[in-house]
Formats: sequence, C-alpha cells, structure tokens
Amino acid sequence: MDNNSNLIKNSIIILSFFVIVTAFYFLIGQDKTKLPSQLIDRPAPTFKVQDLLESELIRSEADFKGNITLLNVWASWCPSCYVEHPFWKDYAKNKDLTLVGLNYRDTKPKAMKFLREQGNFFEWNLFDENGRLGIEFGIYGAPETFLIDRDGKVRYRHVGVVSPEVYQDIFLPLVEKIKKGF
Amino acid sequence: MFKPLFTTNTSKLIVIILFGLFSSSAIATIDTYEFNDPKLEARFQKLIYELRCPKCQNQNLADSNSELSMDLKNIVYEKLIKGESDQQILDFMKQRYGEFILFNPEMSQSNALLWGGPIIFLVVAIGVFLRWYSNNRVIDNE
Repeated sequence: MDNNSNLIKNSIIILSFFVIVTAFYFLIGQDKTKLPSQLIDRPAPTFKVQDLLESELIRSEADFKGNITLLNVWASWCPSCYVEHPFWKDYAKNKDLTLVGLNYRDTKPKAMKFLREQGNFFEWNLFDENGRLGIEFGIYGAPETFLIDRDGKVRYRHVGVVSPEVYQDIFLPLVEKIKKGF
Repeated sequence: MFKPLFTTNTSKLIVIILFGLFSSSAIATIDTYEFNDPKLEARFQKLIYELRCPKCQNQNLADSNSELSMDLKNIVYEKLIKGESDQQILDFMKQRYGEFILFNPEMSQSNALLWGGPIIFLVVAIGVFLRWYSNNRVIDNE
C-alpha cells in the first residue's frame, strides 16, 4: 500500500515535470519564423520608395489603400524566392487580390534579370535597395508575405515560402474574413 | 589497411583554403564606425550588445555579420549621431521587431513565465528535496 502511494507520488512528480517542460517548449521555444509581426492590425508603415520598373514613380503606403494586397518580399539572391515564384505565376492566373512585390536588398540589374527570367506577376514592385523599407516592415529576410486590407492595415505576415497549401490553409480564411469586413 | 582520405598536397590545400575562409570572415567583422566622442562610442557598443540579431539564433548585433544586423547597426550609429537617446533607439527597434530584439526583455504578461520559471522550478525542487529528506529521516529513526 505504501509502495503504491509512493509510486503515485513519483508519477505525479514526473508528470508535473513533463507538463512544465512542455509548457516551456511551447511558450519559449517558439520557432522564430512564427514570431508575430509588430504590424498586425496596424497600418502599414509610412514610406516613400522608387518603383522598381518605373523609376520616376514614387510609391507610398497610400498605394495599398482601396484594395486587398499581398505584399511579397523577394530578392534575386534568395534561393527560396525561386522556389516560391511559380506559386505567384499560378496565383496571378485567377487572383482576386493586388499582388505587389517588395524587392529587398537587391540591385536593379539583378532584380530585373530575376523578373525577366522567372516572370513578373506583380502589379508593381517596391525597390528597397538598402533594406530600410524592410526594416520598417520588421522583416527578417526573404521571402516573406504580408496581407494588407483595403484600409492599408497589415492583417498577417508569413515568413518563408507561400505554397498552395499555405495559401489555402492560412491566407484564404483571412482573405475571406477581410472581405466580410474583418 | 588504413588509406588516408587525402594526399599530403590535398590536405595542405584544404588547410590553406580554411585559413583563407577564416581570415576573410575576420576582416568582415572589423567595424568602420567612427566616433568623435568616446561616450557615444561606449553607448553604441552597449546598444549593439543589448540588441539581438533578429534572424540569428542567440547572437547580438555586435557578434552578427548578417546583412540585417549590419543594417540595424548602421541605424543605431546614425541615430546616435543624430542625438537620439538609448531609449528612443531601443523603442525604434522594439516597434519593428518586438521584445524579441532585446537580449534582456522587459517583464511583461507574455514573458512572465520566462521570468518566473526559474523561481517555480527552484520552489518545486526544494519541495521535492524536503519531502524526500523527511521521508528518509523517518526511515533512519526506525
């Protein structure tokens, strides 16, 4: 009987230990790619940058207003962007959102070469040569994709490649929510 | 019979290449920030040790050579030269990258477990030890 109660006590202690460790794992050991953006439910940062293809055009956060926008951060030096890009090609065929590129820390000739070879499916591209706009958006690198609503508010940020599955499971429900007025 | 993986000449070449790689990274870490005021330089050093490289695992801006860290270091430098306070610079970083960018995050509701965790562990450990100790003492007396 005493042995049994000791066994129960020890089991409770061991179980509690595992519960605490698991809680720590989920609360602290987060995947850094899952860190939420500081911009969620806030207006996109204010900026003024050159359009990649039309240098004389200066783009700003005001350009996001009126449409639901997917802002994709890409660069010619980013291997994952080459993996992701075919998705945007398929997306562009029947898209219902404005697809905008943010060319991050790149040179114009290399960025143009990327778009020539991989295809340009973006309606327009922001040219962030020195990475300062990227910092305003709090980005970690490329690729990243922001979902911006009609009021210019950031509703979601995805770090990493957007695949058909990611779009279907994560973006689409949010897009539907935005369309209904959030 | 043991057969060496590389010939002597290949081994030498590998060593030379490795030296080359390490020396280039050593060159890359030399900072080129110039300060007229040593106090400003001390504040710069303190800030880049306090700020975490957002895309690296457990590295501060001072130790990281990533391009993002370089950009953030440049911003710290520019803001110091412009006369901004340490708190203004930390707030700027926090607004964009959250608490995660601070190596010593301020205590908040979301990280309360992180701060309180070690104390909880200590209390549990002492409790378990005292229980074990009192149980054993009873057995000794018998």
